[in-house]
Amino acid sequence: MDWLFFGEISLAGLAMGGLYALIALGFVIIYKATRVINFAIGEIMMFAAYLFLAFAGGMELSAWIALPMAVIGGSILGGVIEKTMIRPMLGESPISVVMVTIGIASILVGLVEFIWTANPQLLPSFLPREPVFIGPLYLAPKIAYGFLIGSALLIIYLLYFRFSRGGVALRATASDQAAAYSMGINVRRVFNMAWVFGSLAASLAGVLVAATGGLSPQFGIIGLSVLVVVIVGGLDSILGALVAGVFIGWLETVAGAYLGGEYRMPATFLVLAVILVIRPYGLFGTHEIERV
Amino acid sequence: MFRNILKKGRRLAGLGSLVAALTVAAPAMAQDKEPIVFGGSIPLSGVFAFAGIHIHAGLTDYTDWINNQGGINGHPVKYVMEDTAYEVDRSVAAFKKISGSDSPATYYGDSTGFMKTIASELNSQGDTLMSGASFATALTDNEQYPYQFIPGPNYSQMFGIILEYIADQGKDGDMPTVAFVYSDTEFGKDPIENGKARAAELGIEVVENIVTKPGSVDVSAEVLKLRRVRPDFVVFHGYVLSPINEFMVQMRQMGLDTQFMGTFWSSDKLIIDKMGADADGYMGVMPYNYYDSEESGPMLDALRAQAEKSDPEAGYRPTGYMQAWFNAMVWTEVVKRTLDAGKDLTAENMAASLASIEDWDTGGIIGIPVTVKDMSFPVGRIWRVNAEAGRYEPVSDWIHLD
Repeated sequence: MDWLFFGEISLAGLAMGGLYALIALGFVIIYKATRVINFAIGEIMMFAAYLFLAFAGGMELSAWIALPMAVIGGSILGGVIEKTMIRPMLGESPISVVMVTIGIASILVGLVEFIWTANPQLLPSFLPREPVFIGPLYLAPKIAYGFLIGSALLIIYLLYFRFSRGGVALRATASDQAAAYSMGINVRRVFNMAWVFGSLAASLAGVLVAATGGLSPQFGIIGLSVLVVVIVGGLDSILGALVAGVFIGWLETVAGAYLGGEYRMPATFLVLAVILVIRPYGLFGTHEIERV
Repeated sequence: MFRNILKKGRRLAGLGSLVAALTVAAPAMAQDKEPIVFGGSIPLSGVFAFAGIHIHAGLTDYTDWINNQGGINGHPVKYVMEDTAYEVDRSVAAFKKISGSDSPATYYGDSTGFMKTIASELNSQGDTLMSGASFATALTDNEQYPYQFIPGPNYSQMFGIILEYIADQGKDGDMPTVAFVYSDTEFGKDPIENGKARAAELGIEVVENIVTKPGSVDVSAEVLKLRRVRPDFVVFHGYVLSPINEFMVQMRQMGLDTQFMGTFWSSDKLIIDKMGADADGYMGVMPYNYYDSEESGPMLDALRAQAEKSDPEAGYRPTGYMQAWFNAMVWTEVVKRTLDAGKDLTAENMAASLASIEDWDTGGIIGIPVTVKDMSFPVGRIWRVNAEAGRYEPVSDWIHLD
């Protein structure tokens, strides 16, 4: 066995998994606080990446100004969606709310095609292009720097949720909405905050992923492929999103390298099937027991 | 008395009007033949819209142009289309609707999936000849798809042309090595087995096969695999842009001097526009002259003039536009040959007319006379990106496969 090759493949997979974890975080934050599975997360990623294209490509702003602007733009979009389309659905059946998110996804695709056309795009190059070596192991620079930027946001999020008042309010609401409300927490504001934070994570992931894999109105499909990560990790577990993201990224890459690209998806879905049999609520998800 | 005069006057005026109307209308009635309908399932939205918009422009412009030339044997041409969003069910619905209302003689199909799905209906109806966006090898099976043709080489033939070019680069018996990189789709897998067989015939070693899943985020693991085998050439198939750019950039970052090639849909100017200097040296197989090439010819010049006339702001017209124009050219030729032979415009008669095309001068759209073989035009040329000039330039002669 060529251990150097295995090491390089593993490194690439782990770095890619970091980006999966970031997207999964977007899913989980929203679900954890609001119990809404946001099927438009991929399209929010896509929209932020197009905003980056507009700022850095069209307006020729510095990429390091365009990046925060695009990410903030994506998070504002998430907040607006919650306030105008999801909040009126409070109390409706989960299926109805899911259908609304699917509708939002279609609207965003149409909007992007209308503004930026359906042409495939490449983002202006903004990450260093020099190959990265960790010891003897090569790592593609876009993936390496994308992983670093994504990790920085993950750490900020973890610290925020652990120590800030907003983070505690979010966790309290996730645990028990009624109790949180009775303790004076503005639950509606928490819902909106969850959409803003979830969309922000997804937006950053969107720009980083599009910088590597290109951009088109169909880009949002990546968001759905990360659904596997979220289910494996547990829909309401931030730790699960991180662990499963990194693991699925590694597994996909190793399976693709040793078995062939056509085995990437079967490998991940095999893991999903096994996890669903052993732990239907995911590796770290909450096991809800309903008593009648 | 006065009333009688008035009555006669009215009659005369009416007769005069009739004579005048007939005089004016007579030449028009002589030309008033049934229109020949070009139908189309066109992906103006959805995943293939980037090409569909230009396909629609090509078919529209050709229709205007041919009507300005007097139509086909005096028959005006009418182009009827529906947007399909590149979805097979919508394409089928569009076909049924257009077939029911306009009886198209020829039809543009937007995908291999649609063209395979509609085949049985097309065969049973027997009054429409179909081609379109697909270059799928399977569609050149005349038994199963007798009324469908490929407006160029099929994907296996494209690989054949690419491999002939690669074999020509072998010096002193030192044959270059090649790796195939393709998407995990029906489109991507289409020419691979035939490509491997052809490579073996030419003595070219295929050192690696890389399959990428649609929507792959990162290809660095695949690039690492290619670094181990260091192919002289990488041939891409099943992509429009990404991940071709990532393979090229990462492999060059690793210091590999591999050359990169692609098939029709991977060889548009989009690659140059989006990749910029990184696209330099990329090569594609193309059966038509590029819109901005230095080539010329009466039809190529007419195409450029019509494109300029219909939208002076558009500038460069992509390969989808050229492909659509060529489709309509072939339809015209086929309809004309069928009518000239005094036959009805049935699918069988038109397919026979198509099969009779031999050493056909396309007026510069294709650089050499072409002959139909197995319902395709197995001809192409290798073009290389000159990033500084911002265009593809020919690096091989036209290759017509036997």
